[in-house]
Amino acid sequence: MVGNDALHTRVLAYDGLVPGPVLRLRQGTMLRAVVENGLAEGTTVHWHGIRLPNAMDGVPGLTQPTIRPGGRFDYAFSPPDAGTFWYHSHDDSLVQMGRGLAGPLIVEELEPPAVDRDLLWTIQDWRLEPDAQIAPGFSNRMEAAMDGRVGNTVTINGRLPDNLRVRAGERVRLRLLNAAIARIMALRFVGHSPIVVALDGQPCDPHEPPDGRILLGPAMRADVMLDMQGEPGRSYPVVDDFYDRLSYTLVRLSYDAAPLLRPHPSDAPLRLPPNPVPRPDLATAVVHDIRMQGGMMSGTGGGGMMGGGMMSMTGGSAWAINGQSMTGDGSADMPPLLRIDRGRSCILDFRNETAWWHPMHLHGHSFSVLSRDGAPVPHDEWGDTVLVRPREHVRVAFVADNPGDWMLHCHVMEHQVGGLMTTIRVS
Amino acid sequence: MTRRKFAALLMASSTSMPALLMSRTVPAAEPIPVTLYKNPSCTCCEGYAQYLGQNGFKVDVKPTNDLAEISRKAGIPEELEGCHTSFIGDYVVDGHVPVKTIRKLLDEKPAIAGITLPGMPSGSPGMFGEKTGPLTIYAVSRDGTPPRVFDVD
Repeated sequence: MVGNDALHTRVLAYDGLVPGPVLRLRQGTMLRAVVENGLAEGTTVHWHGIRLPNAMDGVPGLTQPTIRPGGRFDYAFSPPDAGTFWYHSHDDSLVQMGRGLAGPLIVEELEPPAVDRDLLWTIQDWRLEPDAQIAPGFSNRMEAAMDGRVGNTVTINGRLPDNLRVRAGERVRLRLLNAAIARIMALRFVGHSPIVVALDGQPCDPHEPPDGRILLGPAMRADVMLDMQGEPGRSYPVVDDFYDRLSYTLVRLSYDAAPLLRPHPSDAPLRLPPNPVPRPDLATAVVHDIRMQGGMMSGTGGGGMMGGGMMSMTGGSAWAINGQSMTGDGSADMPPLLRIDRGRSCILDFRNETAWWHPMHLHGHSFSVLSRDGAPVPHDEWGDTVLVRPREHVRVAFVADNPGDWMLHCHVMEHQVGGLMTTIRVS
Repeated sequence: MTRRKFAALLMASSTSMPALLMSRTVPAAEPIPVTLYKNPSCTCCEGYAQYLGQNGFKVDVKPTNDLAEISRKAGIPEELEGCHTSFIGDYVVDGHVPVKTIRKLLDEKPAIAGITLPGMPSGSPGMFGEKTGPLTIYAVSRDGTPPRVFDVD
């Protein structure tokens, strides 16, 4: 993984691979996956972002029993939407994902856009010791109440990246998948102007990201179109500068000496074909507040991580949604936070009352992002995971058309298992 | 990817302790060097760095995502962790420890790994809010003996 044959990192893997194998299928066709558990503990597989039947969603205790060691579970579903999705463990997920159990799931459009190459970066983040082994100390209390276990080694497709060979003039569709358990990324392609064409698998208005930075929280995806307009023979860094004073070069785009593939940038259309996601009716939508609470520095007085005890707020949990903490891998006996009639449009007002960023993920549905702090988002934007800034209010809407009990949680894994998790019931 | 590059990557997030030992010949008025590791997103740690700076210390603030590792390797038990980790001379000083207690540590020179003020108590130096009770600072050992109370402020 770190590119040194003498240093092998012990991981948990799907089919012996980290990340897991790239699963590719055409939109509307059936995916069948037989999961055999060779671990010493229970596991499940969650198909992140896919609008599938509840029984296939892979949440232990909620949508299926966990797959015991030596056991198996057969998943089968037909993804309705084309796009960049992924799969990962949802049982002991902080540790299982943190040790490698994640992989990409690509659903191809029936009529894909015209590009020269379709590339995928599955990005994972590891905290490695000098011997390249994964450092112990998952669920550190202090980190759990801050921004989670951010690592020290970022890999692309399971390798420490170095150079990506590119050709001047080519158009690349680059699928970015942040499969990290905690690391937020802000990617800048120096010397280039990536155009975002899909978020979380769902096509959006093609647009340049604000300040040229592609912001990707854990679990989030972005499909970007990159016209390689650099000079042949030169190389250009891709920089991640999310964390204050911890900017680094993730990888470099290294141009062949070959002449331009074409004299002018491709004029093929950028917009992806639409997915059959229902549009919510905002006029009749039911509105619910989702208040995210807890963590360090959450406020002055009244709650938060002050006083002598660190976990003073929620009876031992660092985090909560609307005052309730569903911890660990969830508990089926906790009543759903919301009950929504099937087919009803629903607005969720995410109100981040904490000092930390939270990528909030809803299972079984894709939502439209409407506004941030009251300002409408500038582009038609959909997703299954929305990154909510500290103290920010983000409004999203969706049609609750998929019956079942669905998880709604933060995808910083330590926040999830520490109480930033709940369920909604569509019936 | 070469071994050299991988080593360089780990160095960038180095968890090694600064081995800087204060020279006893330096006059007392000379600022005492401190290296303070903090979470890049935590703001109260900056407040604490300012507090040290105003009280005779010269603080080098280093944001890191490896704070838990640095703290662990310095000998701070997880349940006693503060929200940032400083190194002063040979000692680790974890959390919002008052200057008075740091000076006591540097004067007495006990054979310990360092001291810690767990969590981020309201009203402690560099923290917002009102102080709600005494601050208990613990000594942590180099040899695995249990932490003991070092000072109460």
